[in-house]
Amino acid sequence: MAPTTTPASAPSSASQEPAILIEGLVKKFGSFTALDGLDLSVARGEVHGFLGPNGAGKSTTIRVLLGLLRPNGGTARLLGGDPWRDVVELHRRLAYVPGDVSLWPGLSGGEAIDLLGNLRGGLDQGRRAELIRLFELDPTKRGRQYSKGNRQKVAIVAALAADVELLILDEPTSGLDPLMEAVFLDEIAKEKAKGRTILLSSHIMTEVEVLADRVSIIRDGRIVQTGTLESLRGQTRLTIDATLAVPPREASELSMLHDVHVDAHHRLTATVEPDRINDAMVALTPYRMSALTVSPASLEDLFLQQYGVTDPAAQATVR
Amino acid sequence: MSASAALTPQPSSSRFVGTRPLLRVSLRQDARAIAPWVLLITALSASSVLAYAWIFPDAADRRGLATALGANPALSLIFGPARNLMTADGFNAWRAGQLGAFFAGLMAILIVIRNSRADEDSGQAELVASGVMARRSRLAVAVLMAAIASGALGVVSFLVTVLCGGGVTSTLMLTASFTVSGLMFAGVAAVAAQLGSEARTASSIAIATLGVCYVLRGYLDSSDLPDRVTWLTPLGWLEETRPGADNNPWPLLPALALAAGLVLVAFALQGRRDFGQGMIATRPGPAAAGLAGSIWGLAFKLHRGTLIAWLIGFAGLGLLFGNLAGSIGNLVAANPAVGVILAAGGYGASSITFAFLMTILEIIAIIAAVMGVQILMRVYAEEVDYRVEPLLAAALRRPIYLSSNALVAFASTAVAMVVAGTALGVVASAEDGIAVGDVVRQAIATIPGVWVLVALALAAIGAAPARRPVGWLGVVATFALTILGPTLNLWEWLLDVSPLRHIPNVTDAAPAWSGLVWLAGFVVLFTTIGFAGFRRRDIL
Repeated sequence: MAPTTTPASAPSSASQEPAILIEGLVKKFGSFTALDGLDLSVARGEVHGFLGPNGAGKSTTIRVLLGLLRPNGGTARLLGGDPWRDVVELHRRLAYVPGDVSLWPGLSGGEAIDLLGNLRGGLDQGRRAELIRLFELDPTKRGRQYSKGNRQKVAIVAALAADVELLILDEPTSGLDPLMEAVFLDEIAKEKAKGRTILLSSHIMTEVEVLADRVSIIRDGRIVQTGTLESLRGQTRLTIDATLAVPPREASELSMLHDVHVDAHHRLTATVEPDRINDAMVALTPYRMSALTVSPASLEDLFLQQYGVTDPAAQATVR
Repeated sequence: MSASAALTPQPSSSRFVGTRPLLRVSLRQDARAIAPWVLLITALSASSVLAYAWIFPDAADRRGLATALGANPALSLIFGPARNLMTADGFNAWRAGQLGAFFAGLMAILIVIRNSRADEDSGQAELVASGVMARRSRLAVAVLMAAIASGALGVVSFLVTVLCGGGVTSTLMLTASFTVSGLMFAGVAAVAAQLGSEARTASSIAIATLGVCYVLRGYLDSSDLPDRVTWLTPLGWLEETRPGADNNPWPLLPALALAAGLVLVAFALQGRRDFGQGMIATRPGPAAAGLAGSIWGLAFKLHRGTLIAWLIGFAGLGLLFGNLAGSIGNLVAANPAVGVILAAGGYGASSITFAFLMTILEIIAIIAAVMGVQILMRVYAEEVDYRVEPLLAAALRRPIYLSSNALVAFASTAVAMVVAGTALGVVASAEDGIAVGDVVRQAIATIPGVWVLVALALAAIGAAPARRPVGWLGVVATFALTILGPTLNLWEWLLDVSPLRHIPNVTDAAPAWSGLVWLAGFVVLFTTIGFAGFRRRDIL
């Protein structure tokens, strides 16, 4: 379903230290452990999808990378430096879009863009104007008058108009309408083509599926899966959707299938491990299939499986 | 109040539907924020009754107090005229009356703005308004909460003061004036909430109104104008109840009428404005950053509105209070004994008028510290609103960010002292023996005292923002020690805690400059703590 994108990491960057390298990161807030031994590696030039439900620790990880939070344990390296110590040197080389942009009530959007740009070491004025036009942003409104989506656009324009190596995007499209989301995806694709490294935290799966070279899934402060979409799919069950002339009497007749569900119209949905697909086909033949779809796991399936949502009806409805 | 009548569940009350459940939730939410105000004002009143019997046990002590303090115009500025310092109730009415009314008004303003305008800014009100909720109910809830808090303040402070030995009638009159002050300024805040297009504008309008009322009342009380001018300000009406002396409740009626009238105006205005907007519309901003393009410009621009308003206020204070210098001369001429006591107020000053001006500068210094602390508290407010995060995610060092705000706080307090000192000096120099230069130099010498308080707030905000009330505590403690302390004959070592005690008199033959060196040392210490802490801590 998802098109095969670029290879995981360009061989040329193998000699360089990864853009982001986190090992065993621990961050506690009082008695609450937000990050519990998190490992994350993002190669240079790669778009890395960072997935996880609300509260899993995505934003905490990003805030450690930005040097805002001081980790309790483990190491984090960013662009070859220490995110806590080398704040300024590193921040000249990155731009950040928060998920919930809070603007200064008295400052216009244009002022906020310039302020953030100047603090990063300058904006490309041509690119700024182009982005304002593409995102249909009115830069003269004051911070408080912007809707959520428009506040988001202010942060996106400020980040994309900066000439930086690394973009850290924390749910950047939250609040954007579908048209603007499409513009955003186009612009990110351009940034990617320029060789920028992008850490894209999101729970909009299509966005990550289209853009990301590699994906890490975080759960309760740990990375539970990481790899290219293909490699993750390799470990994940395929979805079978078949219409049968003869329904099976019991689910145990098809022991290699998981999450078997047969509806009143003899339509069977189930999942199967990739290496048992042949057995499944053989087992299903006696039931005389009149229609058959076998689909690779979508990112959404991967995500849902990781989080233990295995209801086949729920899986069948996701795209 | 019209709103309370509509609370009864009748079909015709649909104009206020939803008030009751929202009120219940809001009260539970806000109780923690209200309680300290009730306690503070109650403590102010109860402590005067307790302290009076202890510190001034016999008639001779009390006569001494009456001559020493009652006639001091610098103190009438703050407390109003002393009508009867020979009884505990009279002392309490003087010491807690106007201050209590001021703080009750401030409490009511903060409650109303927090529960009406601020919720519109945060979007919380939108969620509430989408429920079964009449348009007027949110404002009704805010006003009712202020009314309930003012009522609770009256009841608690009455009971506690009477338990501590206050007379029933006088205490009733005094605490009723607290409640009525709360109601009046709840009305002021309700109107301000309709005018400003954001919570900060609204609270600035309301608090400025309260401040102007208070300062005007202080000026009228200290000047040698006829007594009836007291009626020109609403706080003067409360003063005219004369607790502990005449106990006259009638002046409370116009005050209640004013409160009701303001609330009605607020409801009328609310019906004419759009949700989330104010009567004062927001103008579009520049499309590109000029001033706000750098972190220093940003700090200045964020505080600009506040600073302009404050500096106008300081110039006004200087002009107004300088005008009082003339009454000192008259006072001393009429009562030489007062002059002796005034001059003996720890200054060793040859000029009584200059000693008075020094006290005025101390009061102005405390007000300047309020401004400085307010500016620094803003740093944390910005952090909580996640507006510091994108700045620090750029190539900005934390110390630079903190410096930009600390610079505004230190510079503006210094400018405030110079502005107020110059205005004070120019007006006061109409008196014989007062040179503008001396007053301005005295104002400049007071700056390190202000900075100690500003730096204390900086230490709290930088290193441990959870303890940021320490910043306000410093200001309140300095006020209590400098202004209230002498009225209680407190120990010298305790009074010495106030940084303002260590400001030398620049007109002395050999001013004690060493005091300033100590103050500068504390400024450096607190500032260092603030910066060191800010480097190390987690940023929200």
